[in-house]
Amino acid sequence: MKHANRAGIYFLVPAVLIIAFVLLFPIIQTVILSFGRNSTSIFTGYEYAGLANYQRLLKTPRFITSLNNTIFFTAVTVPIELALGIALALILNRRFQGKGLVRMAVLFPWALPTALNALMWRWMFNTEFGLFNSMLTDTGLAVERVNWLGAIPTSMYAMMFVSIWKTSSFMALLLLAGLQTIPDDLYEAGSVDGTNRLTEFRFITLPLLRPATLVSVLLRTMDAMRTFELPFNLTDGGPLTSTETLSLYAYRAIFQYVNFNLGSSAILIQFIIIMSISVMYIVIIRRGDM
Amino acid sequence: MIIGRRNTAGEKVERDRLSFSGAKQASAGFYILAAITVVVSFFPTVWIFLTSIKTEADIYAWPVQYLPDPVTLENYLNIFKETPELLLYILNSFIVATTTTAVILACGGLAAYSLGRLTWRGRNLVLILILAVSMFPPLALLPSLFSMFLELRLINTYPGLVIGHTGLYIPIAIWILTNFFKSVPSEIEDAARVDGASTLRIFWSIILPLSVPGLISTGLIVFIFSWNEFPLSLVIMSDNFMRTAPVGISLFPGEYSFPWEIITAATMLTILPILIISGVFQDRLIGGLTAGSGK
Amino acid sequence: MFRKRSLVILMFALSLALMIPVAAQDDVELTLSIGARGFGDAAPVLIEACEEEAGGISVEWERISDVPNESRSIYVTNFTARNPKPDIIAVDVIWPGDFAARGWIAPLEDYIAEDDLADYLPGFLAAAQVGGSTYAIPLYIDGIHLFYRADLLDKYGLDVPTTWEELITAAETVVEGEANPDLAGFVSMWAKIEGLFMNWLAFFQGAGGAFFDADGNLNINTEAGVKSLSTMVGMLESGVAPESVLTFRPNDARVLFQQERAVFLMVQDFVWAELTSDESPVKDGVALTRVPYFEGNEDTNTTVIGGFLLAVNANSENPDVAADFIKCFTSYESQVQAALIQGKVPTRPAVYDDERVVEGDPGIAALGANFVYAFARPSAQTGTSYPEISEIMQTEVSAALLGEKSPEQALADAEAQILALMP
Repeated sequence: MKHANRAGIYFLVPAVLIIAFVLLFPIIQTVILSFGRNSTSIFTGYEYAGLANYQRLLKTPRFITSLNNTIFFTAVTVPIELALGIALALILNRRFQGKGLVRMAVLFPWALPTALNALMWRWMFNTEFGLFNSMLTDTGLAVERVNWLGAIPTSMYAMMFVSIWKTSSFMALLLLAGLQTIPDDLYEAGSVDGTNRLTEFRFITLPLLRPATLVSVLLRTMDAMRTFELPFNLTDGGPLTSTETLSLYAYRAIFQYVNFNLGSSAILIQFIIIMSISVMYIVIIRRGDM
Repeated sequence: MIIGRRNTAGEKVERDRLSFSGAKQASAGFYILAAITVVVSFFPTVWIFLTSIKTEADIYAWPVQYLPDPVTLENYLNIFKETPELLLYILNSFIVATTTTAVILACGGLAAYSLGRLTWRGRNLVLILILAVSMFPPLALLPSLFSMFLELRLINTYPGLVIGHTGLYIPIAIWILTNFFKSVPSEIEDAARVDGASTLRIFWSIILPLSVPGLISTGLIVFIFSWNEFPLSLVIMSDNFMRTAPVGISLFPGEYSFPWEIITAATMLTILPILIISGVFQDRLIGGLTAGSGK
Repeated sequence: MFRKRSLVILMFALSLALMIPVAAQDDVELTLSIGARGFGDAAPVLIEACEEEAGGISVEWERISDVPNESRSIYVTNFTARNPKPDIIAVDVIWPGDFAARGWIAPLEDYIAEDDLADYLPGFLAAAQVGGSTYAIPLYIDGIHLFYRADLLDKYGLDVPTTWEELITAAETVVEGEANPDLAGFVSMWAKIEGLFMNWLAFFQGAGGAFFDADGNLNINTEAGVKSLSTMVGMLESGVAPESVLTFRPNDARVLFQQERAVFLMVQDFVWAELTSDESPVKDGVALTRVPYFEGNEDTNTTVIGGFLLAVNANSENPDVAADFIKCFTSYESQVQAALIQGKVPTRPAVYDDERVVEGDPGIAALGANFVYAFARPSAQTGTSYPEISEIMQTEVSAALLGEKSPEQALADAEAQILALMP
């Protein structure tokens, strides 16, 4: 398969056209808008303002807070999701009675619509009528009702919890694919050598799982950095701005304050951060391979 | 036929593993872990279901009434009486998600084949570019997309949202499928090429049949993404009769009110298809993801 | 092979069939965008009546979200894209200043005579008047009122509180007497939402404050400002208001009150219908009065108003027809219908005394009485900056309530941010 293939480029055309239309063009418009002032379109009434929006953002405490929130949220949830994802994938990779139910249990949280899932949890976290507070007070674990979504920092923890609950299964699914590509004869060789299960996991499973780990962590990091519907429907970014993510901040700048330019700059900064994290991550893993 | 054959192969792999790991009988501890997984996964849904069959007064009772007494279907009936559009929302979601899936598999499949199996200069760069573009926060696309779609009369139409969703999720489909195509052994393809088959012919009669499990799993992932997509559907489908299910439900709250009795019932109706899909198609989804290991 | 191919073809055929856009109608059509349930059953009735009156028009009801922020973002995307639809939009009382300054909604003086405007509540109409032009016509009003458990106040021999000082004492007396850990003294909407800004404004005006002074200068970092905010913080600290009030939107507070778990409730009037419905546990004990003031400030207006107006899209192809439709939709007769069908409080004071209304829904007259003390939020003065100013106030008031800042500091910070925003 070493010969070049011109047909390959034609095969790309439909996909590239759609991507150009839906993603590339709007992205270009967003980039241009981020350097503008009082403009909602790049075609009519565009005013160039240089780096003014970026300078203003970096001096806006609220933007910095949303940036910190997003990074904190990502840094906490992704590793926990990875660990749980590996555990779930290992469970799913075995054969046992009732496996169908467990598989469904892993698929289901991932398949739930995020917007509705956030609503469901919001109801359970409700301070006055919620399930969790009722269970806590009924079992005597707490005397007073916990103000889950109304206090700092419990609100952020609640949001992280919901995210971990929902997306660990996504990790598990991607990791499972990796797990099942590990050839059985490797394990057989291992069992001949008399390795126990832990060393087997450490020296066979984990290293071979690395490509799948790379993909799943990368995808989840990108996703976590863009989290929008979860704070939107669970906490509305509150209390104060303690759960406001970059996406929510940008959404407010664009749709509430109708400042397309400031919002575009915020999104661009977010994009640059996501890109750098991804590139860094890929480089580190590649280097580790050598 | 083909699907059946792949499945048999998949099962064979599992049986092999079982025989080798006979020593690793599932222990009690293992079952406890599995049981915890099941409970943790389903309890929010169970709770929402229980809430949805309580009377309004019982929903807001304190201390919380754990089991509904009396059981009532009134909340569901109210939805059908007051907002029968809900069925329409689910139908809309279904139309958009299936069409999106079909378009993505067709266009994304071709692209992924080209990126994963054909050799041409710059293909890695293209793959990275596609991925990079998809990292862009989708929110930022909305204002720009909306004005373009308005010009093209795509607002409040199925094609509009299908194009939007296709654009959002085709990069991830290409990524998954590219990895998938790479794992299909190249001997058969090389043999066909020696026999003088065209690239398209090889794709159609060799790669595609071998890749059905991968296409199914990718398709399911894309379907679910499209079913759940929120911000774009919110903006592109502003007409009440065109809304998709997640958006339709999120718009249930009023200016001041948050009627949990209606919201829980509506949520149950919307996640029912998801529940069914993750129950019925789990073999397809997981089987497809693991097919790469079949030799 | 064959089966798979036909499946693929079938799927493509299906997707192609779905891609044929719905054919557009060529009749002259207006689109009216108003909340699905906010105006509820009154909407189709009034649409039909006004279609008939105008003749030759057909009006499509675009049922947008009842959550103001969500419907606002739909408008933002529509208007920045210069969409000529919807022709007529329902706007929250705080939007006209912003929308007019952006050129999104049309001035109405060419279509609606000055004399006609005199029939609407002037305090409400003012919110839609920018630079001498009127940009929207009031449809229905709501406002913040104080709802209370008359039965509990009676039990402890307490008068209906008119001042905050009296309210706090009364709440403490009742809660202490009932000795019920699930009973709260005072609940309201103190989540970080627009309603929180309204809440603080009510306290603030009740302490003799005004957001802008007579010369139009920002006037929040004052004695009245500190007094109002400190009182709110104090109510949280002393437990008169439960901690969870910081997550409450209006309906959360309503539900708690309706479940006999609060003595006082300060939210908008939409709750009245539910509090007095047959299933309501408090239907016999609940009563309402105007929002309190601080001692010595009985002349201050403390009823913060909300509500919706109708405006014409500046890019509408038929602005004249749209304006006529609005005139009909907000007419005396229409408002009587809206009050009777959906319990909407009229924006024409004359309707409060209409016999049909007095008979059909006596609560409306009671609510109407409090609008003597009505005042609007500073949205007309602040134009495009209002959303950001409101957000700043919500954030800073929240910060004080959460104990992150002292009230003095919060107001100073709010002042600095708002001044930086306004040239």
